[in-house]
Amino acid sequence: MVNRSPLYELQKKLGARFTEFAGFEMPIQYTSIRDEHLTVRKSVGIFDVTHMSNLWITGKDSMKLLGLTTVADATKVGEKQSQYTVILRENGTIIDDTIFMNLGDKYMMIPNAGMNVIVTKWLNDQAKKHKLDTKAEDVSMDFVILAIQGPKSKDTLQKLTSVDLNSVKFFGCQYIDIAGAPCIISHTGYTGELGFELQITPPKKAETVFNKILDAGKEFGIKPIGLGARDTLRLEKCFMLAGNEFHGGRTPLEATLGWTINWDHDFIGKGALLKQKEQENYDRMTCLLCVDKGIPRHGCVIQKDGGNVGIVTSGTLSPCLNMGIAMGYVRHDIRAEGNVLDIVVRDKPLKTKVVKPPFVPKDWVQKNLENL
Amino acid sequence: MADEVRDGLKYTETHEWLKIKGNRAIVGITDHAQAELTDIVFVELPTVGKIVNKGEELCVVESVKSVSEVYSPVNGKVVNVNKKLEDSPESINKSPYDDGWLVELEIKDRSEVDKLLDAVAYKKSI
Repeated sequence: MVNRSPLYELQKKLGARFTEFAGFEMPIQYTSIRDEHLTVRKSVGIFDVTHMSNLWITGKDSMKLLGLTTVADATKVGEKQSQYTVILRENGTIIDDTIFMNLGDKYMMIPNAGMNVIVTKWLNDQAKKHKLDTKAEDVSMDFVILAIQGPKSKDTLQKLTSVDLNSVKFFGCQYIDIAGAPCIISHTGYTGELGFELQITPPKKAETVFNKILDAGKEFGIKPIGLGARDTLRLEKCFMLAGNEFHGGRTPLEATLGWTINWDHDFIGKGALLKQKEQENYDRMTCLLCVDKGIPRHGCVIQKDGGNVGIVTSGTLSPCLNMGIAMGYVRHDIRAEGNVLDIVVRDKPLKTKVVKPPFVPKDWVQKNLENL
Repeated sequence: MADEVRDGLKYTETHEWLKIKGNRAIVGITDHAQAELTDIVFVELPTVGKIVNKGEELCVVESVKSVSEVYSPVNGKVVNVNKKLEDSPESINKSPYDDGWLVELEIKDRSEVDKLLDAVAYKKSI
């Protein structure tokens, strides 16, 4: 069965083309990926990301469960704070990456699209095994999720709420009324730009909110944005896409997410990670910028002097740089910044060089506005 | 919807067009095809002199999200390619029947051309 967002009909009217992603029929693009991408980098765009999952985590041991099942120390995540983290198997490989929000009375977790059942079961199984008084409840179908992203996102949303949005800090979260609808807002996103995400329930309230945001952003040239641009925006910032970057079982050390790990607390998978950390000889996520013309894609082999040294997990043309960019796992000893590696596209080597993430730094758009 | 079908050209069901001149044909993709692909950002052209068979890959056009093969509409030989597309692949979007042409073929058997669709038949198929 294919799910549709409650905003499907509205999006169709707005000119969306749809694609199926993780069991949801979602807009892939409205005008063009490049146009939508640059709109978000320069001004503001609104995304429907209802395909993402929503879990409530309740009960007196919620914090303990989150500490146990993620690499973050949940005791350090205060009220009105969000945390990006990963959930691991005992062997240290990633089940999912997620954000959880401490809303004071309970936690909301946002697993990836299609991961709601797996993550809910995993959390409840661990709670039971460790005799914790807490419960994870899958409420994905009760929420519409909107992301408002871009330098003008705050100015757009500020028109629709009496709460001073400057009080919602980066990775902050809280209950709020937006356009007359009760929502959860978080100062988070997947574009690397200033941005916010809204969890709206019941779903039938979302259409009004969506339309009012479009109205409020009109003066900034707001546009609805599809999943195509969502992917290129995140890739320019080297953000992980779980289905690509963690496919087949990758640890946070391999994914270069070591910075998310709080080693001072016990969590599932810690033992395996400590062992891997000692070995050091594991492949690591590496960012490759094309020198030659061409576009690397998911699954392309990475080579050095004709020998295989890695695999591309995500690749595209960067709409900002107008060059091919790729993320992939590369042998640990040849991924120093500036190293030249080939990506094999249709049997031909495409010359690339290793760069430090992100491909498009924070001030890039301001510096290059006249060329865009 | 941008779905121009130009009279006087031949077409395939896989959305290539051909402009026939004697035993040569200029080949491109139709307005309908470019609109479906959206922003074309990269084109891989064949080498001049390459022998191509009908239905086989002739070139590759890529949008930001997708990779699409363009098939050779006839048996023949590549005699010219539109080198300008390497620097301005967006010409295919802007001008699919003129500046956005892909390759010129020498047709092996002129009778194959008669089996292709005309503008009326192609229009019906899209």
